[in-house]
Amino acid sequence: MRKLHLLLSLGIVLVAGAALTSCQKSQDSKPVEASTIKIGMAGAQTGSDGQIGTSMLNGSKIAIDEWNAKGGVLGKKIETVILDDEGKPDKAVTVAQTLVDSGVVAVIGHFNSGCTIPASRRYNDAKIVEISPGSTNPQYTEQGFPYAFRICGRDDQQGPVAAAYMHDKLKLNKIAILHNKTAYGQGLAEVVKKTFESLGGTVVMFQGIGQDERDFRANLSVVKGSGAEGFFWGGMYSQGGPLCIQLREAGLNIPFISDDGCFDQSFIDTVGNTANVFLSFGKDYHDLPAAKPFMDKYKATFNQQEGAYSVYGYDAANTLLSAIDQAQSTEADKVTAIMKNRPFDTILGKVEFDSKGDVKQSGYVMWTIKDGKLQVLPDGP
Amino acid sequence: MNSSSTLTEILIDGVSRGAVYALVALGYTMVYGVLGMINFAHGEVFMIGMFACIYAIGVFSTTWGDHIFLNLGLGIIVAMIFSAAYGYANERIAYRRLRKAHVLAPLTSAIGISTFLQYFIFLTVSKDTVNFPRYYSDFLTNHRIHFGGVEVTYLQIAILSLALIIMGGLFYLINCTRLGIALRATAQDQLMASLVGIPVDKIIAFTFILGSALAAIAGVMVSMYTNVLVFDAGYRVGLKAFTAAILGGIGNVPGAVLGALILGLTEALTTLQFGSEWNDVTTFGLLMLVLLLRPRGLLGERVADKV
Repeated sequence: MRKLHLLLSLGIVLVAGAALTSCQKSQDSKPVEASTIKIGMAGAQTGSDGQIGTSMLNGSKIAIDEWNAKGGVLGKKIETVILDDEGKPDKAVTVAQTLVDSGVVAVIGHFNSGCTIPASRRYNDAKIVEISPGSTNPQYTEQGFPYAFRICGRDDQQGPVAAAYMHDKLKLNKIAILHNKTAYGQGLAEVVKKTFESLGGTVVMFQGIGQDERDFRANLSVVKGSGAEGFFWGGMYSQGGPLCIQLREAGLNIPFISDDGCFDQSFIDTVGNTANVFLSFGKDYHDLPAAKPFMDKYKATFNQQEGAYSVYGYDAANTLLSAIDQAQSTEADKVTAIMKNRPFDTILGKVEFDSKGDVKQSGYVMWTIKDGKLQVLPDGP
Repeated sequence: MNSSSTLTEILIDGVSRGAVYALVALGYTMVYGVLGMINFAHGEVFMIGMFACIYAIGVFSTTWGDHIFLNLGLGIIVAMIFSAAYGYANERIAYRRLRKAHVLAPLTSAIGISTFLQYFIFLTVSKDTVNFPRYYSDFLTNHRIHFGGVEVTYLQIAILSLALIIMGGLFYLINCTRLGIALRATAQDQLMASLVGIPVDKIIAFTFILGSALAAIAGVMVSMYTNVLVFDAGYRVGLKAFTAAILGGIGNVPGAVLGALILGLTEALTTLQFGSEWNDVTTFGLLMLVLLLRPRGLLGERVADKV
């Protein structure tokens, strides 16, 4: 009898739930009368890149709140649909499909290159503009999709900067490379390898390791035996931090060079004031006049310091919305035409997109840790 | 550096990595031995031990200052209590009612608990990596013993000896004590065991509490070894430890350690020979090979004995 009751009540809940969702659906199916403009936001909010991904989306949220405070865009309020791809490529495709189905007019995201690349096909097929604040793998804009944009640089710009720094400034001839087997980490590592070899250097070790591995001692023993003079890590900070410590614990005081994926406060928290650590990242925005109000607002809203990609998230949202505003339309073709032909003012300065959707101005520079802070190297490129 | 000393270093790396897996694998194998159930939430209990320890250390060092051994020792005890409580709660909430259900029901429940705990920690404690305070681990990671041109850190020795001590302790407990007899009786037939006066519920709860407390010790050692703690730390180590337990014959205590050491060495040698991107290929290839030849694992009991 109790079981019957349970089943009955479960059934009632299910029916009620279905009724509610169908109400929701019927509301959704009238896009013509929509009083808001829907913008999709996607990125890693959970998983090991959850922190850096969330801080990127938070940057975009601030921009959208500012636009809404001014009255929205095209006379309508902006409504956001925020989804989590967990940093997983398969999940990203599901997220993309959900965003397409929910009727968003444009998407800000994703964060991980491995997510952005498979998701971009869905957006492109549905004629939705996508702008990624943080995916640096070249393949994203090389697929020939007209509606794909990114506001950060590309790994084939970043990799050569790091490789040239290792070869020309640090005077290294033999380096070891380890990457995290993702589209981003491996892609960048391969660019670094190619450039470093073309400069006349030798790569004595090139290996990949699983994304959730945190014991690198076997790899480091191989590095030790190979006689490498420098070590390059292509991957994220959640592994880069312990890797750097274990490198030093193994008695290897060779330079540790890494990428924008390690450019995060928690990387510094892990490694501390370690000398001989170099990271490639975009230019320093902390002293730019436009950055100060944003950093203050971020701190006031989220009660923490902004992440490495927060500014890029903010700039991406602003660029996208002002393109929609200038096009006076949410139609992908019109927005794209504006984006590819006009300059945009952002915190990081003037931004122009080329025909592929990449920014023309990407100034990668080398950073190092000094006094517990990341600082641009004075002698860097 | 010549290649023979690289090989020696790789072997040491492999053994210490195996010892890390062994510490966790012992918990898997013990619960399986008694209940015949794979406790997928074991990796998460291990991760909770990590977090409990550093938070306890933080509280102690602000209360009465930085006494390395006192704080670390108490931190480990707090971690054990915390993990044991979680382990007991898991058993009470998620498994006990499913004990007589189909074998897949508690398994699914365990996977659910595992995901729940992972994201509970992610949302309430830390979304990011947390650093193990190096002040407390430096004495173990920076002191080394030298022999024959290679170095072994105190921590590596500590992890391996702990794994062996716990293995020995569990083996003694299960095979040579009255409690062990009760454990084995419960494993063989819960109804019969209860008829001869063995408090089956308490015995099973004890298994979970002991396994979880051991997981906490493993958690503290591993968080020192990898320098960082993160909410999904239990997943990878848990998966590898589970593989090790299967390889050695799940349910068998020395088998778990043997399987873990073999797994660790395989990974290290693969890194040397083919590169670490092949680790999963070789380890799971090895697992398949062993299971084809010995379906119950290396030291696993024959099926007839089990039933």
